Amino acid sequence: MKDWIGLLARLVTGSVWIVAGVLKLPDPSESVRAVRAYDLLPEAVVPTVGHLLPVLEVVVGLLLVLGVLTRPVAVVSSLLFVAFIVGISSAWARGLQIDCGCFGGGGYDADATSTYPWEIARDAGLLALSAWLVVRPRSRWALDPVLFGSSHTTDSAETNERNPHVEEHA
Amino acid sequence: MSKNTPERREARKQRAAEALRQKQAEERRRRLVTIGAVVAAVVVIVGGLTWWQSTRDTTGEAADVVPSVAAGAEADGTPGEIDGYGIVIGQADAPTTVTIYEDLQCPACANLEAQLGEPLAAAVDAGDVRLDYRMISFLDRASTNEYSSRALNAALAVLDTAGVDAFRAFHDDLYANQPEEGGPGFEDDELIDRAVAAGATESEIRPQVEDKVYEQWIENATDEMSQAGYNSTPTILIDGEDADAQQLAELLQ
Repeated sequence: MKDWIGLLARLVTGSVWIVAGVLKLPDPSESVRAVRAYDLLPEAVVPTVGHLLPVLEVVVGLLLVLGVLTRPVAVVSSLLFVAFIVGISSAWARGLQIDCGCFGGGGYDADATSTYPWEIARDAGLLALSAWLVVRPRSRWALDPVLFGSSHTTDSAETNERNPHVEEHA
Repeated sequence: MSKNTPERREARKQRAAEALRQKQAEERRRRLVTIGAVVAAVVVIVGGLTWWQSTRDTTGEAADVVPSVAAGAEADGTPGEIDGYGIVIGQADAPTTVTIYEDLQCPACANLEAQLGEPLAAAVDAGDVRLDYRMISFLDRASTNEYSSRALNAALAVLDTAGVDAFRAFHDDLYANQPEEGGPGFEDDELIDRAVAAGATESEIRPQVEDKVYEQWIENATDEMSQAGYNSTPTILIDGEDADAQQLAELLQ
């Protein structure tokens, strides 16, 4: 049962990342402006973050959907959601009226104040799913056991005999 | 048959345990190598794609073609010039400078122009206001054919070949007939027809429009607005101070 929850968490979080990243890839200068609009990072790193984020989102999304390196990737996914929640909350607190740029776009948004709570709730939900995978990365239809072998064989055989559902550590 | 002494059983057990340990160590090593290889591949892919994104982002590269203002067409005596990324219209000694950031696809800009365009033009022509148009383009995704940047490129072509009067007429015409968001904006031919109606010469602007010669200049102008800390159009400044449409309306009364 828990394996199925893991699968659901991977597919939901992963596909949101893929969509968010793919929508941003075609216009790198727009992503840079969207990052700059938050007015949080020093200008020296704004372009790099703007170029890196969409790529990171697509790669994290693909790895989650495929179930490769699930635990470390879920850690990255969680950290990104924490960063986005901080960014959106900070924009809200400072009274900035910006589109979060979550799915491309960015910059001014007249309705920003009414969309901030929903954006934060959405990211918090996705953060919860990512955190689940950090705690319990094992899930159905993941490539991890295929690529790296099941951790059962590397853990002591005795432990596994007694506790066949020992959690995977990859 | 006598081989199965307790000593030999013990030795065999130890050998089996040793073999298992070696096998496990070998598997652990192989697993770590595979993980390392996959992690390295992911890092290389992320790094490579990020580098690719940065090479596709031409922001800040010098523009090969920079618009100028065609001279001699100012029948009414209102001069215009390019100052940085501003298209500055009006007498140099006008007491007030109004700066407006606009995107030709932006509906709120069309509203502003519909409400205040005429009194603003009158104030400029009377020498009361110097108007600094910062025309930028970030709404290409609002049309199916990159209308925002193509329309601005055409407007710069009109300014460059036919001067300030033709630019103002073309600019006002594009706002009065702004294509709706979500659909196709005017194609190049339609832009050229409207530019000719505004006073441009087709043979002069067609190559500039079709080759989108001011693309890099537009990219840099758009970036300049972002660097200045403005994220929306229209953004209005009166003598360099942030202002809204209400304050502009009061100024023009």
